[in-house]
Amino acid sequence: MRRWLIIAILGATLSSIALAQGVVPSVEVTGAVKQPLTLTAESLAKLPRATAKLTSHGIETIYEGVWLTEILRRAGVPQGEQLRGRALASYILAHAQDGYQVVFSLAELDPSFAAGGVLLADTANGKPLFGEQGRFRLVAPNDKPGARSMRMLTKLEVVSLRN
Amino acid sequence: MRVIHRHPGFSYAAVGLLAVTLLQGADFDWGLPPGFPRPQVPADNPMSGAKVELGRYLFYDKRLSVNGESSCGTCHRQELAFTDGKPRSVGTTGETHPRRSMSLINVAYATYLTWANGTLTSLEEQALVPMLGTKPVELGMLGHEQEFLDKVAADPLYRRLFPLAFPGEHDLYTLKNVTRAIAAFERSIISLRSPYDRYRWHGQMDAITDSAKRGEIVFASSELGRCFRCHGGWNFGPVRYEQTPGQRREQFANGDFFNTGATVYAEPNRGLFEQTGRDTDIGKFRVPSLRNIAVIRPYMHDGSIPTLEAVIDHYAAGGRFAHLNKSDIIRPLTLSARDRQDLIAFLNSLTDKEALTDPRWSNPWDSGR
Repeated sequence: MRRWLIIAILGATLSSIALAQGVVPSVEVTGAVKQPLTLTAESLAKLPRATAKLTSHGIETIYEGVWLTEILRRAGVPQGEQLRGRALASYILAHAQDGYQVVFSLAELDPSFAAGGVLLADTANGKPLFGEQGRFRLVAPNDKPGARSMRMLTKLEVVSLRN
Repeated sequence: MRVIHRHPGFSYAAVGLLAVTLLQGADFDWGLPPGFPRPQVPADNPMSGAKVELGRYLFYDKRLSVNGESSCGTCHRQELAFTDGKPRSVGTTGETHPRRSMSLINVAYATYLTWANGTLTSLEEQALVPMLGTKPVELGMLGHEQEFLDKVAADPLYRRLFPLAFPGEHDLYTLKNVTRAIAAFERSIISLRSPYDRYRWHGQMDAITDSAKRGEIVFASSELGRCFRCHGGWNFGPVRYEQTPGQRREQFANGDFFNTGATVYAEPNRGLFEQTGRDTDIGKFRVPSLRNIAVIRPYMHDGSIPTLEAVIDHYAAGGRFAHLNKSDIIRPLTLSARDRQDLIAFLNSLTDKEALTDPRWSNPWDSGR
């Protein structure tokens, strides 16, 4: 019994060390999707890249990343002509590391419905995001306040109100 | 262009260079890192190195008080981030001010001046308050303005500095020019060299501790510290800056004055209400920048909270006192002991030690006179 306890403690310790050393920051795309995704900086680098500018307290920052529409398309979420009827009662619930959440409807992200878009950013002025921004963030350049330009993004959950 | 003159060792070579620079209309060098906005400057009081230097002498000149015992620098000491370390400031004749002195660091970016005045936005105008104000008396110069101007006009040092600061003007020794020079000096006090700045803006990842890095996240989290809701952005508070053509003016949805439930708001410390008379303004005080906050103790408008730890306790409790006007932003927080330690480490990383000793802003009279 004691030996099993020691093995269990040792195993848990090693797991936590591995976790601390080997975790690659990522964003999960989950919920009402055909293809769940786990996005890392490496995988985002292979998708079509775009930039968006935000100004905060007089400082302009150029963020680079991937438009959410590109990501949603790869997750099998209705886009363009498919975004009709019940699909319009769907939204993205974005989660931050600290529990903060914001919502975007699918229609407001889709260029066939609305101008602009929301960027999943991983660099600022050409450098990887860090610190209070987290490794990933959202950039909503057409929002007037910055509250939905979420920092420390960890998950994009697609929610469909009418299946 | 910055010129540091030290009385009496005045350099005529520097004066010549300065004059040429002024004639060429060169911009004032704020020493800002790339990308940072320049402060707004009134069109009738452009910055120049000569004016800043004159303002420095005037700022620290004790002859600018009725009894010759105080200057602006008495309540705004450089080593304390231009505050005085007292819960409430004391005027030159011994009258206690209802509130503590505010830091002048980055005051050029302040949207409003003083703790609770929604109309005072010009440093030139504000400088008259401590000079001439009577409720309370600070420098006590009301009725003694001309005496001071006569002393200035007779001082050989000022007779050199005023013409350089206000080239082409015939009526140099006026109260207006005194306040313009002091305002220019105050605007020049820019602090962007803290360890946190080196970490955040200049890629020096080891400039702050891991605890301070965690504290930054607590500070900036909507769910943990929520501090950024009022103290957001690079100056950790609201900023006013020079707008570039086509730039959208940012609106601060929450305003710049808040009731935080920090104290009992009794006369004459009822915040914005003292000016507006509106009940909804009772207890609303200006959000100060948190830069150098570790040396700006004690805290709050009345110095009623002695330490940063106690300030965090106040906010974690959702305010120390209930009040109808208390901001919705102020509500109880769930902070662990480590979160609190990390927040303190982060706040300590905002101290710009160079700004606290920078000779450009030090007392020039210390070396003589």
